[in-house]
Amino acid sequence: MFAGLIDNYTQQVLIFTGINVIAAFSFFAPFKTGQVSLGQAGFMAIGAYASAVFTQKFGLPFAVSLPLAALLAGVIGVVVGFPALRIKGIYLLLLTLGFGEIVSVIALSWDYIGGAQGYRNIPFNPRTLGYVLGVVVVLTLFFGRLERSSLGRAMDSIHQDETAAEVMGIDVVRIKLLAFGLGAAIAGLAGALYAHQATYIDSTTFNIMMGVEILTFVVVGGGSTYWGPVVGAVVLSLLPEFLRTLREWLELVPVSATNYFPMNRIYDFLHEFLDFENAKRLIVYGLILMLMMIVRPDGLITRDTLRRLTFARWKTRHA
Amino acid sequence: MPETCLAIESLSKRFGGFYAVNDLSMDVARGHIHALIGPNGAGKTTFFNLITGVLGADRGRIVFEGETVADARPSRRTLRGMARTFQNIRLFPHLTVLETVMIGEHCRSFPSMWQALGSAVLQRPFGEAREETKMRENALALLGFFGLAEKYDAKAGDLAYGDQRRLEMARALATQPRLLLLDEPAAGMNPQETHALDALIMRIRDRGVTIILVEHDMRLVMGISDRITVLNFGTKIAEGTPAEIQENPAVIEAYLGEDVTL
Repeated sequence: MFAGLIDNYTQQVLIFTGINVIAAFSFFAPFKTGQVSLGQAGFMAIGAYASAVFTQKFGLPFAVSLPLAALLAGVIGVVVGFPALRIKGIYLLLLTLGFGEIVSVIALSWDYIGGAQGYRNIPFNPRTLGYVLGVVVVLTLFFGRLERSSLGRAMDSIHQDETAAEVMGIDVVRIKLLAFGLGAAIAGLAGALYAHQATYIDSTTFNIMMGVEILTFVVVGGGSTYWGPVVGAVVLSLLPEFLRTLREWLELVPVSATNYFPMNRIYDFLHEFLDFENAKRLIVYGLILMLMMIVRPDGLITRDTLRRLTFARWKTRHA
Repeated sequence: MPETCLAIESLSKRFGGFYAVNDLSMDVARGHIHALIGPNGAGKTTFFNLITGVLGADRGRIVFEGETVADARPSRRTLRGMARTFQNIRLFPHLTVLETVMIGEHCRSFPSMWQALGSAVLQRPFGEAREETKMRENALALLGFFGLAEKYDAKAGDLAYGDQRRLEMARALATQPRLLLLDEPAAGMNPQETHALDALIMRIRDRGVTIILVEHDMRLVMGISDRITVLNFGTKIAEGTPAEIQENPAVIEAYLGEDVTL
């Protein structure tokens, strides 16, 4: 679709940025009702494997397998959501973490979907970028509307005081299940889009670290408004590209300036540090998380930020 | 004899070996302000939790407007027409005053979650749902009634204590209850605010809402109650009009020791 307009590399970066935004939305949906899930990578795995099976084994077109994969992940999300209703905080974190592990073990041991070999030869979808952008736009519109709606407000109230919300007539059980199922379905979308771009997935693709990464998107971006996950996912996805550029600039430093003691060590460290192709990314994520907790615990974008940016009290336009 | 709004039949709730509410029976007449008093730990808040479904009763029956309320979740009971405030204020700290009241209206505007979802998805772009406009107007009217209209845009958590108490009442009234349970509305209010509260509670009653009032401020209770029930250790020790209660020796003893006039 965009083949003629942008080079392959940029397309790749855009696709994975978009998938990260979708994954961040999948975390945001249950989070809006106060449910913190580390298992979104598990739902991504379900969507990815499901879409792989639907297209390769059943011969369905991607346009059909994508919503089906999301639906399957969503249904499983509602099932997982039931026990999740009764527990909170750290215990919910552990439950969703366990769920991710279960999915991973099933993927590892079920030969029908490749088992330990992983799932190979998933049909490549040349139009993934179009799909990704489409899904991102639809989700952004949806969460924007949710935020301005009574249901969105009800979700916020559940986040802030579940018992008080229930006593005020908010159907806490149903709304929490909806939010959890919705988050799972959105994660399923992200996983399916990923599978047909990477064409190979295995039991370690959607691991716990990915679950933590998704959480990081929302922590960095902010969880009080839907712009938080968007900004968080975009910033953290493009950060490696940014650091790569910094590294290229680093190489412009004349050798004469860096061949004596403290400077050569500093240069080597920075050079190594900005190499983003490996697990050092996680060190940077860790540092960013710590820094955010100290400097801006509510995330980059909060509702107050939005108010200041738009100069409008859009929520109440009465005289 | 006035019509019964709420009938409690031998309600009990035990925490371990301790009866917080023990075999309690009482009738609340429609349109009354019915006060529930008793020393700290007498079981008044537990009683509220049992009626609204926050806690499940061990034994006994709750009959609301002629129908037994059987183990329904609090939100269902709210839909049937009960509402309450909390002794330890439980507002949503990050919502604005206006939004807080609109939370109360949610269950009336959208009895089903799917309707709410539909309204969220189908609203006009950059506009808002029709229900939303209506809800905001109702909420502003209600805030006017409680004298909070000016502060509609403040965060609920930033309000002064007395304002928070009134906001809790506004939020509860937004659910359009026929029975309102007020848990120590005067706690933390200054004397002027408490004086204004008398009139406020009576005006709520005049809107056709039956009120059960738990309160320690005896001036307030004696001034506005139609009927008073006195609890001690989860058991009813007296019931009657304010005048009768003030002269009841069992009450005086339970409350203050002997030889004191209320």
